[in-house]
Amino acid sequence: MRNRSVLFLFAAAVLAAVALTLLYRGNMLLSSMPEAPRRVTVIFKTVDYRSTPFWGNVRDGVLSAGQDLGIDVSIRGPALESDIQGQIDIVRGAILEKPDAIVLAAADYNLLVPLAREIKRKGIPLVCIDSFVNSDDADVRIGTDSYEGGQKCASALMRYVHAGDTVAVMSYVKGSSTAIDREMGVRASLAGKVKLLDTLYSNADADLAHSQAALLISTTPSLRGIVALNDPTARGAARALAESGKQGTVALIGFDNSFLVLKYVERGVIRDTVVQKPFNMGYLGIRAARDLIRGKKLPLFINTGSVDISRSNMFQPENQKLLFPVAEGP
Amino acid sequence: MKIRRIQDTLIRGFAALIVFALLLLGSLSYYYLHKILIQNAEETTMQLVSQLNRIIENYISYMDDIALMAVNKEDVREFIGNPGADTPRLRDAIEKSFEAIRSVRRDIDSVFVITDDGRAIAATEGGGLNPTVDLRKRFMELEAGLVPDRPSVSSAHVENLVESRYPWVISLVRAVPDGASGKSMGLIQVDLNYEIIARLCRDIQLGKSGYVFILSRGGEIVYHPRQQLIYGNLKSERIPEILSLNGGNLSAVVDGRAILYTAVSSRETGWEVVAVSYLDELFAASRAAEYYFILLSLLVFVSAIGVAFLISSNISKPIESLRRSMQAVESGNFNIDITVNARNEVYQLARDCDIAVKKVRDLIEQNRRELELKRKLELRSLQAQINPHFLYNTLDSIIWMIELGENDRAIDMTSSLAKFFRIGISRGSETISVATEVEYVQTYLEIQKQRYKDKLSYEIAFAPELASLQILKLLIQPLVENAIYHGIKNMEGPGLIRITGLREAEAIVIRISDNGVGMGREQLEALRDGLIEPSQANGVGVHNVQERIHVYFGLEYGVSFESAPGAGTVATIRIPVIPGEVA
Repeated sequence: MRNRSVLFLFAAAVLAAVALTLLYRGNMLLSSMPEAPRRVTVIFKTVDYRSTPFWGNVRDGVLSAGQDLGIDVSIRGPALESDIQGQIDIVRGAILEKPDAIVLAAADYNLLVPLAREIKRKGIPLVCIDSFVNSDDADVRIGTDSYEGGQKCASALMRYVHAGDTVAVMSYVKGSSTAIDREMGVRASLAGKVKLLDTLYSNADADLAHSQAALLISTTPSLRGIVALNDPTARGAARALAESGKQGTVALIGFDNSFLVLKYVERGVIRDTVVQKPFNMGYLGIRAARDLIRGKKLPLFINTGSVDISRSNMFQPENQKLLFPVAEGP
Repeated sequence: MKIRRIQDTLIRGFAALIVFALLLLGSLSYYYLHKILIQNAEETTMQLVSQLNRIIENYISYMDDIALMAVNKEDVREFIGNPGADTPRLRDAIEKSFEAIRSVRRDIDSVFVITDDGRAIAATEGGGLNPTVDLRKRFMELEAGLVPDRPSVSSAHVENLVESRYPWVISLVRAVPDGASGKSMGLIQVDLNYEIIARLCRDIQLGKSGYVFILSRGGEIVYHPRQQLIYGNLKSERIPEILSLNGGNLSAVVDGRAILYTAVSSRETGWEVVAVSYLDELFAASRAAEYYFILLSLLVFVSAIGVAFLISSNISKPIESLRRSMQAVESGNFNIDITVNARNEVYQLARDCDIAVKKVRDLIEQNRRELELKRKLELRSLQAQINPHFLYNTLDSIIWMIELGENDRAIDMTSSLAKFFRIGISRGSETISVATEVEYVQTYLEIQKQRYKDKLSYEIAFAPELASLQILKLLIQPLVENAIYHGIKNMEGPGLIRITGLREAEAIVIRISDNGVGMGREQLEALRDGLIEPSQANGVGVHNVQERIHVYFGLEYGVSFESAPGAGTVATIRIPVIPGEVA
C-alpha cells in the first residue's frame, strides 16, 4: 500500500514535469538545444588575402557561417601559397589543440596525406575545401569540380581559336589537386582539337607567370591561345600579353576573379575567366564541419560550381554579386 | 472489501487537481504570452522598419536634391547643350562644384554628367572615367528607364563608370531637359555609397540573428546581409509572398526555422524594406518565464502533496490511534483511557468510545463483585447448615440411642445425618433439582423427628412438574428450622409442618407452614426486619436465604412471612423458574 502510494506520487510528479516541459519547450527543445560553441580550426593555403582575394572570400564565408551557426572558427595558413612545409607545420600544431573539427585546403595533394591520416586517427572530423589530399581520410570534400572548371576554360577558349591552333596551358603549383584536375579537364576537352604545348608551372607567382608568358609569346609566333589556371598566373600572363600587344591574336582564358583579372577582362586582354564560388566553399565547409560534429552523414563530395565570365556578362546582376563580393557581416 | 486509506485518496485527489490546474494555467499563459510577444515584436519591428525606410527615403530625396541642383546649373546645361563650349575650364568648374558636394557628404560616392554624344564628367574618388565603357550606349540604357521630370532609382549595383574601383552604389538618374525641344540630351547620375544603406540595415538588431533586407520593386535584392548565400542557393527568402504583401507581417518557416517577416513599402524608391525576426529568439524572453513556471509548478505540486499529506495525517492519525485503542479493548484491555490528539469529530467519537468502554468496565467490575458476594453467601449458608447445636443435639440423641440399645434407630439417625451433610456440603453447582432439595429437607425433618418424636410431624406436597426444575440449594431447610425452633418447639401438643411447592406462571412458590404458637405483631416485625438485617432472633439462616434470592434473582423475589399468635406461621418463598436448566 505504502509502496504503491510512493510510486504513484513519483509517477505523478514525473508526468507533470514531462507534460509541462513538453508543453513549454516542445520542438524548440529538440531543435535548438543550447550547445557549447564548437571550435573549428580552418587552415587555408594562404592568408595573404591582398595578393589572393580568393581566400579573403573564403574567409568571409567561413566567418559568416561561424556567426550563423554559432561556431568558434580560427583561421590559419602560411603567408605564401607555395610554402607547403609551412602549412604542414600549421596543421601539426592544430592537431595538438584537438579542435572539434578541422577544415583544410591542402597545399599539396600528396604531402599532406600523412597529416590527414593523423587527423583521422585522432578522431577529429576532417573537411577538405578547395584543394584535397590523395587519400580517403577526409570525411567530406567541398569545392569546385576542378575537372569541370578545366572543361569550362577549354570550351571558352574554343570560341576564340580554330581547330589545329597552338595553345599553351599555364598551371601553378605542381602537385596541387586542383591544378592537376583543372589541367586534366582542359587537356581532355582540347585533345585532338588543337596543338597543346607542354604545361608551364608558375608556382602561383604572378611575376614568374609574367616572364614565362612573355617568353612563350615571343618564342612561339603560332601561339593563338593560353589557358592560365589560377589567378596570379592569369594576371602575369595578361600583363605579358598586354605588353606584347598581341591580345588581338592570342586568346587568354583565366581563372578566378581578382580586381586585376577583372580589369584585364574589361580591357579584353583576358577573354574569359572561370570563376569559382569561394564564399560558398567557406560557408559550406563550416556547415559540413558542424554536421560532422553532430554525427550527420554527408556526401563525399559537394560541388560548389563555377561560372564562365566574359566582358559581356560580368555586370549582369547575378554575376556582379559573385565577382564583386560586398563585405558581409559585422 | 478493499480498504483505501484516507491519505491515498486525498493525495491522489490533490495531485490530479494540481496537475490539471497547472496544465490549464500553463497552456493559457503560454498561449497569451506568445501572442503578446508576437504582437509586440510586430509593432516594434514595424516601427524600426518604418524608421529605416524613412531614413533611406531621406537619402534618396537628398540625392534627388543634388541631381536637381545639377540639372538647373547653367554651366551643366551649357556643357550638355553646346559641345562647342566643352572646354577644360568648363569641365573643371563643373567638377569642382560637384567635388564641393562630395567633400561635405561622404555618402555620395560619385556625381556624373553624361551626354547623348558620349561625353561625360565624373566627380569621383580617383577621378578617371573607365575608358572601356561605351558612354553613348550607357546614355541610351539610362534614358530608356526615365520618366520625364522624375528621378529613377536603381537597385544596388557595381559602378563601372569609374576606372580605378568597382564600388557598390545606388544610382539616381535625372534627365536634363533641353529648353528648345524638350528632349533630353544629357543626364545627371548621383551614386550613393551602398555601404551607407548596408550599414543602416546591419545596425538594426532583431534578436540574436534577425536581420533586415531590401527588395526592389522587381523582387531583386537591393541589400541582404547574406547576399552570397542567396545567390549560391544556400539560403532563400519568400520573395514573391513578401512582394504581394505590400507592407505588413507574414509568418513563414524558412530553412527549418519559424520566422516573422515585417515589410514596409517605400513610395519614393519602390523598395520593400523587410525585417526578419526569428520566433524562437522572440520567445527566448519567455524561456526564463517558462523555466520559472516549471520550477514553480513543481514547487506547488510538491507543496500541495505535502499539504495533502498533512491534512490527511491530521484526519487519519487520530482515527488510527482510536482504532488501535479499540483493538486493545477488543483484546480485553479495558483499563485504558481513549484520548486522541485532535480537535474535531474524531475527538468527540473518541470521547464517546471512552465513556462506553468505561461503562463496560464498570459493569464487568460490578459483575465480578456480585459473583464474589454470591460465593461468600453460599459459604455462609453452608456454615449455617452446620449449626453446632443441631449437630450436638443429633449426636447426643445418637449416643442415647446407643446407650439404650436402640441400635436400629441409631443407625437410621446416623445415616440420615450423613445424607443430610452429603447434600448440604456438596460443592460445585449453586443450583440443584427441586427433588434433591426436597430430599434434603426431608432428611432434615427425619433427623428432627427422631428427636421430637410424636411432637413433630410433617407433610410435603410438591407439584410433580417441579421435580426436575432447578432451584437455588439450601433455601427451604433454614425456614423449616425456623418453623421448628420458633413454632413447634414451644407449643403444646403435636406440631405439623406442611411444605408445599407449586408453579405460578414463571415462578416457583414454596410455602412452609406450621401450626405452632405463631407470632404477635412485634415478633413478626422483628422477623421481617431480620430478613433485612441478620438478627439473633432467627439466626443467620433466614437472612441468608433472603439475601441469596435477592442477589440471584432480584428484589421482586424473596421470602415473606405471615403469622398471628396461636394461628401458626406461613413462610413463602418466591423464586423464578430458571430457564433452560432442566436437570
